Amino acid sequence: MNFKFRRKRISGILTVLPAREQSFVEDMRNFKFSEARSLKLKEVMGYDKHRIVEPGTCVSDLAVAGMEHLFKNGLLHPDEFDALILITQSPDYFMPPTSNVIQGRLNLKHDLLCLDINQGCAGFVIGMIQALSLLEQESINRVVIINADVLSRKTSPKDRNSYPLIGDGASITVVERDTEDSVIHANLKMDGTRSNVLMIPAGGLRQPSSLETALLEDVGDNNLRARDHLHMDGSAVFNFVQMEVPPLIENLLKHAGATMNGVDYFFCHQPNRFMLQKLADKMKVPYAKMPSNVVEHFGNSSGVTIPTAIAFNLQEPLLQKKLRVCLAGFGVGLTWCAMLLDLGPLNFNTIIEY
Amino acid sequence: MNKLEFFRRLAEILNVEEVTEGNVLKDFDEWDSLSVLSVLAMADAKYGVVIHADEIRSVVKAADLAELVEAKQK
Repeated sequence: MNFKFRRKRISGILTVLPAREQSFVEDMRNFKFSEARSLKLKEVMGYDKHRIVEPGTCVSDLAVAGMEHLFKNGLLHPDEFDALILITQSPDYFMPPTSNVIQGRLNLKHDLLCLDINQGCAGFVIGMIQALSLLEQESINRVVIINADVLSRKTSPKDRNSYPLIGDGASITVVERDTEDSVIHANLKMDGTRSNVLMIPAGGLRQPSSLETALLEDVGDNNLRARDHLHMDGSAVFNFVQMEVPPLIENLLKHAGATMNGVDYFFCHQPNRFMLQKLADKMKVPYAKMPSNVVEHFGNSSGVTIPTAIAFNLQEPLLQKKLRVCLAGFGVGLTWCAMLLDLGPLNFNTIIEY
Repeated sequence: MNKLEFFRRLAEILNVEEVTEGNVLKDFDEWDSLSVLSVLAMADAKYGVVIHADEIRSVVKAADLAELVEAKQK
């Protein structure tokens, strides 16, 4: 389905990454694989190091640190936004919403719509669609979108399929009305019949966590994980991305009356370098226009990878000028969505450490 | 489909000199989930077909894999 929004813009992006860095070579000690084979995986997929929270760190901790940084540096005023949208799959609690926990910890005003959205790798674009829709309301002048996940805490260190790529982090994106007559196009698709491709089987009410669901099981290929852990069917995800994402972006551009060449950068969700380069090959986009370097430096932090890619690759340019960018998120749900917009000049576009 | 070329690509993925049609895939040291993923990426990029990991896992010999890709092309 297509979306179209007028006179709205992103005014700033801040990414908060855990200071703790873990290397693939350290991870390897937990895998039941030969060293040569693990190093091959590193080379093919583009794994190197990733950012992992300290034990006990929660989504609201990263979010509050980021918000306080913005307040302290005069980049955002606590009273001058009217909605706070948190997109996460690793909330502090089942209830209350973690967005309210953040509101409370920051002592924010009561005239504030707090909303948790359960979304993952497509979460940046989903959050944008939600924020842009809210900005149609007269009473909502500015929206803060927080993407945050600490999924390393739900991933088995003995699961070579998931652990080396997972990363934690949070990003804060400020969206507001634009004085220019700008247009943002988006395209979204979902398919719940494939919802089991990316899931944490236990811990909800269908299969509550128990001693049994915490037991590591041999899931084949020498990987061990529990039902409490994140499960990713890597090859199914690969096929999904290669099959669904190129036509999605094609349709988005067609609907917007734009062309591939007219796009300065494609900022896709960052599952790993391998998948992104295959995607670029398929779409005939030069690698330089589709950054794929987030996982090797920071890991895949779900909905946080797009803002991380933006800040890591274009921090300075986007403070100075406007670029035409296409964003694409894809993952859990399954969900795949893309957005075409003018980005910049931004008020801020940085990465800080927690 | 040029089968020799397909086997050459498979040999590259498996990090061996040569793959012939009678080779049993499981006998290769490097036949694991990473190779399976590489095979389905190769099938997609070079032959324009989507094969699923389950389909690859049920294949025994290199020749069967070539046939699987070829059948999907039709």
